[in-house]
Amino acid sequence: MKKLVYFFCLAITFSGLLTSCQKVIDIDVNTSPTQLVIEGNITNIRETQFIKISRSVPYTATNVYPAVSGATVQVSDNAGNTYRFTETAAGSGLYSFGPLRGVSGRTYTMRVTVDGQTYTATSVMPTPVRTDSLTLTKITFGSNSRTIVSVNFTDPRNVANQYRFIQYINGRQVNRIYVIDDRLTDGNRIKQDLYFDDDDFETDKLVSGDVARVEIQCIDKPVFTYFFTFRQQSRGGPGGGTTPGNPPSNIDNGALGYFSAHTYQSIEIKIP
Amino acid sequence: MFKHQLVGLAVYTKSLLLPAHLTLYMQYTLGKLFCCLAVLLCSLSAVAQKKFTLSGTIRDAATGETLIGASVIMQSANGRVGTATNAYGFYSLTGAEGTYNVTISYISYQPIVKSVTLNKNTVLNIELKAGSELQEVVVRAGDRKNENVRSPQMGVEQIDMKLLDNIPVLFGEKDVLKTIQLLPGVKSGGEGNTGFFVRGGASDQNLILLDEATVYNSSHLLGFFSTFNADAIKNADLYKGGMPAQYGGRLSSVLDVKMDDGNNKNFAMQGGLGLIASRLKVEGPLIKDKSSFMISARRTYIDFLLKASPDTAIKGNTLNFYDLNAKFNYKFNDKNTVYLSGYFGQDNIGIKDLFANHWGNTTGTLRWNHVFNSRLFSNTSLIYNKYSYNIELLDDVNNFKVTSLIRDFNLKQDFQYFSNQHTLRFGVQGTHHRIAPSDISTSGTSSFNSLSIENRYGLETSAYLSDEYIVNQRLTLLYGLRASWFALLGPGTFSTYNTAGDITSSTTYGSGRIAKNYFNLEPRFSASYLFNDENSVKASYNRNTQNIHILSNTGSSSPTDQYVMSSNNIRPEIADQVALGYFKNIKDNTFEFSGEVYYKWMQNQIEYKNAARLIANANVESQLLFGTGRAYGLELFAKKRVGRLNGWLSYTLSRTERKFTELNNGNYFPARQDRTHDVALVGIYKLSKRWTLSANYIYSTGNAVTYPAGKYNLGGITTYYYTERNANRLPYTSRLDLSATLEGKDTGKRFHSSWSFGLYNALNRKNPYSVDFRNVPTDPTRTEAVQTSLFGIIPSVTWNFKF
Repeated sequence: MKKLVYFFCLAITFSGLLTSCQKVIDIDVNTSPTQLVIEGNITNIRETQFIKISRSVPYTATNVYPAVSGATVQVSDNAGNTYRFTETAAGSGLYSFGPLRGVSGRTYTMRVTVDGQTYTATSVMPTPVRTDSLTLTKITFGSNSRTIVSVNFTDPRNVANQYRFIQYINGRQVNRIYVIDDRLTDGNRIKQDLYFDDDDFETDKLVSGDVARVEIQCIDKPVFTYFFTFRQQSRGGPGGGTTPGNPPSNIDNGALGYFSAHTYQSIEIKIP
Repeated sequence: MFKHQLVGLAVYTKSLLLPAHLTLYMQYTLGKLFCCLAVLLCSLSAVAQKKFTLSGTIRDAATGETLIGASVIMQSANGRVGTATNAYGFYSLTGAEGTYNVTISYISYQPIVKSVTLNKNTVLNIELKAGSELQEVVVRAGDRKNENVRSPQMGVEQIDMKLLDNIPVLFGEKDVLKTIQLLPGVKSGGEGNTGFFVRGGASDQNLILLDEATVYNSSHLLGFFSTFNADAIKNADLYKGGMPAQYGGRLSSVLDVKMDDGNNKNFAMQGGLGLIASRLKVEGPLIKDKSSFMISARRTYIDFLLKASPDTAIKGNTLNFYDLNAKFNYKFNDKNTVYLSGYFGQDNIGIKDLFANHWGNTTGTLRWNHVFNSRLFSNTSLIYNKYSYNIELLDDVNNFKVTSLIRDFNLKQDFQYFSNQHTLRFGVQGTHHRIAPSDISTSGTSSFNSLSIENRYGLETSAYLSDEYIVNQRLTLLYGLRASWFALLGPGTFSTYNTAGDITSSTTYGSGRIAKNYFNLEPRFSASYLFNDENSVKASYNRNTQNIHILSNTGSSSPTDQYVMSSNNIRPEIADQVALGYFKNIKDNTFEFSGEVYYKWMQNQIEYKNAARLIANANVESQLLFGTGRAYGLELFAKKRVGRLNGWLSYTLSRTERKFTELNNGNYFPARQDRTHDVALVGIYKLSKRWTLSANYIYSTGNAVTYPAGKYNLGGITTYYYTERNANRLPYTSRLDLSATLEGKDTGKRFHSSWSFGLYNALNRKNPYSVDFRNVPTDPTRTEAVQTSLFGIIPSVTWNFKF
């Protein structure tokens, strides 16, 4: 987080001095064979749970990702329960089971079989940490000031916690990954600012009347590592930044994506 | 006589190594070296009994500054011997009794020829007068003529500080680090950046010395400026390969920068007002011809402009750097001189009520030159250097202050022994390191916890011996050995980790106890063979090792770089380099040409695991991966040294790759700084007595980067799929920079001024800084690549004065 804040601030400081500019360019890229992508979530809310299976496409293709039908999908837990997921609609690639409520402390195992290949992943549902409020924070850089949403909660002491936030503005998701852990903040009152800019959303400003909703997840450590790496590679720094790579998935057998048993909470705030 | 000095050395060795058991260890390892040395010295002095020695110091007649690398040639009916002055302007030549014509010369100075009758050991101190610039003959007569062909030293670049005045640079701020990037084998760390990569090495593999003190972070303002204020610099040498044995501790290069001593004849001032910064230097004698001082300062004034803003929020922001160089010397007599020099620099960046960041280097060097006799020169240095940074977040809730530092104490003893065919260098060095990785302090209400990561201590000791041996008129050898011993010291707890990064065992050591140590022998060898005065081939092999490593998530130098030492987890980095070169001068030294090829093997290179947490992590060593590297290339260099139009063309064809079991399926992949082609063309044209025009043009292949090969959708976000690491290229870089210098009218008074006008990126080409990927804003079904460029055309103007 520090590093992010750091470069961000420097970028702002310099922006007045440098004539930096952006342009769209043509590039040569490699093409890869399509890869299986699995996105599995189990929440602690009694509801229908979804596992989505699709395939990647070459970089040069349009953003249409083939759904994978006909997969065998099941989730089991360490209390001896097994849940068989079925495809919600033929050809959708979306598999569901429910209503099902995940239980904190339990280990969930996902098994997906596609074309004779089996992909498995496990995830432990963490103990929920309650977020008590969203607040608005005004930040000022020079003459430019903007309002952002902050998440407020108290981190439990002496336990390693990881959090993921998903921000929606007027119902549309902000394209930025927000994950934090308590490596340097264990046991404290936390105010997490959810900064975004116009690369993540159509605008970088929240205006009066906007409704911001934040989904708060407590996630386990492998899922945190997945999203933390995912976030790191999505921004170029000086000379190109961190060399991007595929985030380390908790699913075996080379599938992309993740399987996360996580807690769920959602809070809204309206910009006055 | 030599026995006496060896005892002196042993005393030094002891004082270097305070803990007694270390002394024992060193005595064993160094003992052998010095035995060989003693035998060698005795045999040398036996040969030289009936000869006499001419020695002395060469200085600038106007300022009294010692001249480094000035040529001294002693010619008689029976032949000639020659040498160049050392880092303190000292030379020593030995010949049989007789009468000699002694020619002393230095580039752009008027040579002096003296007749000397050598019938006893003689001291000849000479002051050379600077030649007026248009007198071609002065430069041409520079009898370092063909030095580039003759010397066995390979891969060395001497940077003529006067040249800097005419090389166009970003914001007009002349800079030695940007100038070396125009030389073959040296690659820029990025647009407008002072970071550099030498022969495929990483940026932390350059040893950067300022008056012998290590400068850990040589950049200001994220690398757009270097810490070297050109006003205060006398001389800079860059070794890309064939490192002489007196240098060690880094794999890929040595940049040895020396400060001016200070004018010991007259008081003088010089300075400049530039677009970004202004400079002022004051120097003069304290006791004429005995003692002088130099103080040089530089400060940016961007923040004064910020302060002038009517907007109170802008007013509160900080953005500046400054640095201060100071040097003092005192000459007790012809045999003893003491130098005290220091550097202090700091960067400050801050946004009001939000964020503050400070970083900087401090160095101090105390040196004692002692001339034992006309042939044995000694220098003793006591050196201190520190690099530190802190970052503050000033929010009420999310506040912290992180501080981090690396500090060295260094004691060095160097000897130079001159014989007619041999120049010996030998010495010992001991450096004590302290690294304080991160101390986080917070207010009581902060969401951050206070945290202090254990300090790390290390002792680096080394001894070296080298000999430049003129075998005959054609063959010269430069060979040597450096022995280095590194010890990671307690107090501290040292852990080992499994591949998942979890601690498998921990051991705690008390203060001064050795947690881990490494001993390395580093052979160095170069040879030159002259076909004739203007043609030679050279070959070299050298091994270098490195025990201080930078961990950084970014490609270029960043103020928050983390330093780690070799340890139970990190083995010393090792590089072996071989090089072969052909050197040719044409038309009486008007044109110099060289071609060199090299191949380098690197061991124990460092990369980071996915999701590595480098900052404020007590177990940072669990985040690392270790592998190997290789680099090879061809460097061509053509230079026109004299005439109204001079300059050079440099071309590098190279490749640098790394191999890690855990990355890229264990296959070699290009390092980030891998660029296939690099071209630099520099031209300086003396239009008239007052106007000088100059231009440089650079072309380079883009950096190796990783572009996506595929994409997929994850939770509504377009996500990229990567296959081979660094298999793609940024677009190429091409840039033309121009400058013009107008010298003030020569009024015959001491006051002299000049104007420099610059145009950076005169063609306004958008060179790539980075490339990112996103959905097309108007059509989310497609993705596009977006290139960010930093600088368009940037004009600059600087006014310089001197009196």
